[in-house]
Amino acid sequence: MTADATSLTTQAETQTEAHAVEAHGSGGIGNPVLGMLLFIASEVMFFAGLFAAYFTIRANFIDIDGVRRWPPLAYDALLQPFRLFTDSGQLNLIVPATIILILSSVTCQLGVNAIKRGDRTGFLRNFAVTLVLGGTFLLMQAYDYSVLINEGLTMGATTFGTTYFTMTGFHGAHVFGGVLMLGVVAYRGMAGQFSAKHHDMVEATSLYWHFVDIVWIVLFSVIYLLPLLSRKGAL
Amino acid sequence: MKPRRAALVGLVFPLIAVVYFVVPTVVGAPVDYAGVTLLLALGVAVSLMAFVLFSGIQKS
Repeated sequence: MTADATSLTTQAETQTEAHAVEAHGSGGIGNPVLGMLLFIASEVMFFAGLFAAYFTIRANFIDIDGVRRWPPLAYDALLQPFRLFTDSGQLNLIVPATIILILSSVTCQLGVNAIKRGDRTGFLRNFAVTLVLGGTFLLMQAYDYSVLINEGLTMGATTFGTTYFTMTGFHGAHVFGGVLMLGVVAYRGMAGQFSAKHHDMVEATSLYWHFVDIVWIVLFSVIYLLPLLSRKGAL
Repeated sequence: MKPRRAALVGLVFPLIAVVYFVVPTVVGAPVDYAGVTLLLALGVAVSLMAFVLFSGIQKS
């Protein structure tokens, strides 16, 4: 790189950082983070609508034999999260997928902490791992769908199938969106666009990723763990 | 007011949700699960909005 080019790059970095300081104001937080928080607030209400529908359907559902039961008896064995194999011998990957998504949130936060310290290598490494873990979660969810569909749980099978695929499907779409955002952040990171002072998009993306992770933990608890407690008579 | 403290305003809605759940349960009336769920989520959403609002005030 020539001396002129180096000077221009340094000047551009200084301007970018000055812009970041200006955007943050005195003691405030950056506009991208504020925007993301507003977006997450709207997303909370979006998922709340889905959960509200789920709980209403769950409360009023009567199985084919006339008994109040959730999930329907036909799919009960399929939705045992802690069984490694289904009755037909197919792998049940829902718990490993959950662990992977939680781990991805940890690596994402490590990436944010790294860029805050100015450690670009650490940031890129952690975001690359997060990206891979997010992609793996999506692949595992696709596999899980194929197992469920092969076992007869389709979107049109019962209201349970409809609510299950709607909720997990919308969550999967959000994970896909998050993976795209992580990809863009990693690409920009490789281009050297983030520093210890200028990393608003990194923080905004990590907030979104944590939100998606929390939604999955709630989804997993409601769909898989709540029926376990119901069967034991706790709820 | 500090943004984190302002976010506590969202706690009002989970409290209403608890009342909305407990009263029908005690009386023996059907519980409105959709309403309870939405009130809980509204608490989170309002907390975020309050945080954003007060952070914005600090900036300006």
